[in-house]
Amino acid sequence: MKKVLLAPLDPVHDIGLKIIARGLEEAGYETLLLPPDLTEEEIIDNALRENTATLLLSRTLGYGVAEILARFVDLADAAGIRAKVKLGIGGMAIRPELAAELGFDAGFGPGTTVEEVVCFIEGREYRPDPTRCAKTKPDMTAGYGYGYRHAGIAARLDRISAQIMDWVKDKSSPGVERARLRDELWNAAEWRARRGDGELYRHYPALCGDIPRKYYASGELHPKTRRFTKTEVEGLEKYLADTKARMSVRKLQHSRRKPLVFVQYGTGCPFMDIGHILASEAWGADGVVHFDPSWGARTEGFLDGFLTHQEDGTVITPANFNRIKGALEDSTLWQVRAHRGLNTPETAVLAGKMGADLTKINFCYGALGAGTDPARMVVDGYHTILYAKKYNLPFDVVTNEELCGVPAHKAFAGMLIVADLAVRLGGRPILQPLFAYSPEVMVGGLMADNYVDFNTAKIKALRGIIDAPLWPGAPIGFLTHTEDRVQSAMATALHACLASSLEVDAISIASTDEAYSGGPISAPSRIDTLRAVQEGFRFFGQAGINPTSEADRYADELVAGIEKVLDEVAARGDFVAAVHEGLLGSRAEGAYPGRSGKDTVTIVKK
Amino acid sequence: MPKITEQIMDALDVETFFVCATEEEGRNLMLNLIKSWGFTDADVVFAQHEGPGVRVRGRAYVYRPADKYRWLLREAEAAQEG
Repeated sequence: MKKVLLAPLDPVHDIGLKIIARGLEEAGYETLLLPPDLTEEEIIDNALRENTATLLLSRTLGYGVAEILARFVDLADAAGIRAKVKLGIGGMAIRPELAAELGFDAGFGPGTTVEEVVCFIEGREYRPDPTRCAKTKPDMTAGYGYGYRHAGIAARLDRISAQIMDWVKDKSSPGVERARLRDELWNAAEWRARRGDGELYRHYPALCGDIPRKYYASGELHPKTRRFTKTEVEGLEKYLADTKARMSVRKLQHSRRKPLVFVQYGTGCPFMDIGHILASEAWGADGVVHFDPSWGARTEGFLDGFLTHQEDGTVITPANFNRIKGALEDSTLWQVRAHRGLNTPETAVLAGKMGADLTKINFCYGALGAGTDPARMVVDGYHTILYAKKYNLPFDVVTNEELCGVPAHKAFAGMLIVADLAVRLGGRPILQPLFAYSPEVMVGGLMADNYVDFNTAKIKALRGIIDAPLWPGAPIGFLTHTEDRVQSAMATALHACLASSLEVDAISIASTDEAYSGGPISAPSRIDTLRAVQEGFRFFGQAGINPTSEADRYADELVAGIEKVLDEVAARGDFVAAVHEGLLGSRAEGAYPGRSGKDTVTIVKK
Repeated sequence: MPKITEQIMDALDVETFFVCATEEEGRNLMLNLIKSWGFTDADVVFAQHEGPGVRVRGRAYVYRPADKYRWLLREAEAAQEG
């Protein structure tokens, strides 16, 4: 059995060496760990006496480290052991370059694994195993039956869903028609094989607005976009090949299985997106979220081609989706948002055909907080749910209208209406309550003492109503972030830990640039929050956060509020009218029914 | 030898503590510092002044979305040359 001598060259610290010694013993080595505070001469005497082949030293303190270590190597040389004993040095201030400079055979910095040390002892090259953090792609809706735990709310939703289904059954829109064309006439495999777009573009431009129609007629692009050059594409391919060869991914959740952690990309440029996605995956993101430019939501129809865009939101085209999808790790969940705007159903179709895992649908938010005409949004949302089912895309039902000022109970009523309709249509909705310091919260003082109780109440309320997956977002901690990156990372991590404590299925987190509006989000700001969340998950492990009794009171109030709103919507008997009349969020509360796509709903002739 | 800035993915952030009397003075110091290094697309992301001075973070965008990123192009050019 090989003998390894370990000695702290330090007055007190030897924890790192103890950990390595234990690992080496488990790996079958005989180890001898000397106590701290021995002189260099005493350590060398021990090495001579034990006739060891390997001597591992540690030095935690940074001050004067170079002089001390250089002196040790000189003494070892003078004692005649330098030639026959492998010398390794580890510690907080140690880096491989420093160790080599001082005459050691290896240097081990913070985070050294036992495997690295074993490779050193055995003279093998250390190759980190990229599968050591192997992740799988989970289905976060698995195990949920969508059964109701609150019979009264179930009965109200039953009435409302029936009303919506009756209203929508003879209606269509240009968005629904484009989605139908994309669904029926466009084959992703054929397109990937460079065999064209089938018959799609013979019919498609006629259903588009000005920007796409000009593109299909003359090739003219939106003014903020341009095509990539051939050299850029070749550069991307080389960059991807190089990066993938050294890529590995982290797991953030420590000893827990969930929550999955999603980050949103959308720099405008698919290449920059890919750079951010790879960095996010490497630092532990389980999923990434695609969103389109704000003008894309008000434009009838998609462009085509491999396009970059100067502003927030990445242009949706098959080519852009294809490159992004191709860059993702196999384990990364890919969500494409389809919850707003005039391309909602086609977004789900295209996302499904290009291999997305999830989408995002909420016609209430789309109509009240994202600018789309309520009638158009309901028609398009209904068909989007059907396509999400067809392409096996679970979807979250976002409630960001809370950020406009809509009270949580109204936003939740809207979310439950969409979720109930989805379940009836065979879809798999995921409830997305905000963890946010929303206007309602600020005005009502609901978080005057802490951020825990009201966010906890949201989860308790929803769990008391229905057995459905939960995905707080998006992002968690909305309006608690500032431009200070330390504060912003901390706020994100604490909200993530609350979500973990509440055992939700997933969270979406922001970067530390969340509150900065002066320019695009930077790559390191994404890593800031992923690191903070990982540290938070490590800190709590299986331990939890205890809310006060206020959480139960708030949860009861939320449920009562939801019941009242659903009563009013059901009694109104016309869902679109209920949206216009403010039953799910009024103008006084900051919810304005959108105008984009007004008067575009058509009646389908039988 | 490629220029070091060509390997920056998007932006360079600089954090420091300036001994100064006001936040505005600290912001100006940061912007002038970044511009003195030759960066033109500079901004102050965060600044907080308390008694002794300002804690400040400045940012220079090397690339904004849709720019031509040298960290990609030099890969392609190297491949073409190789």
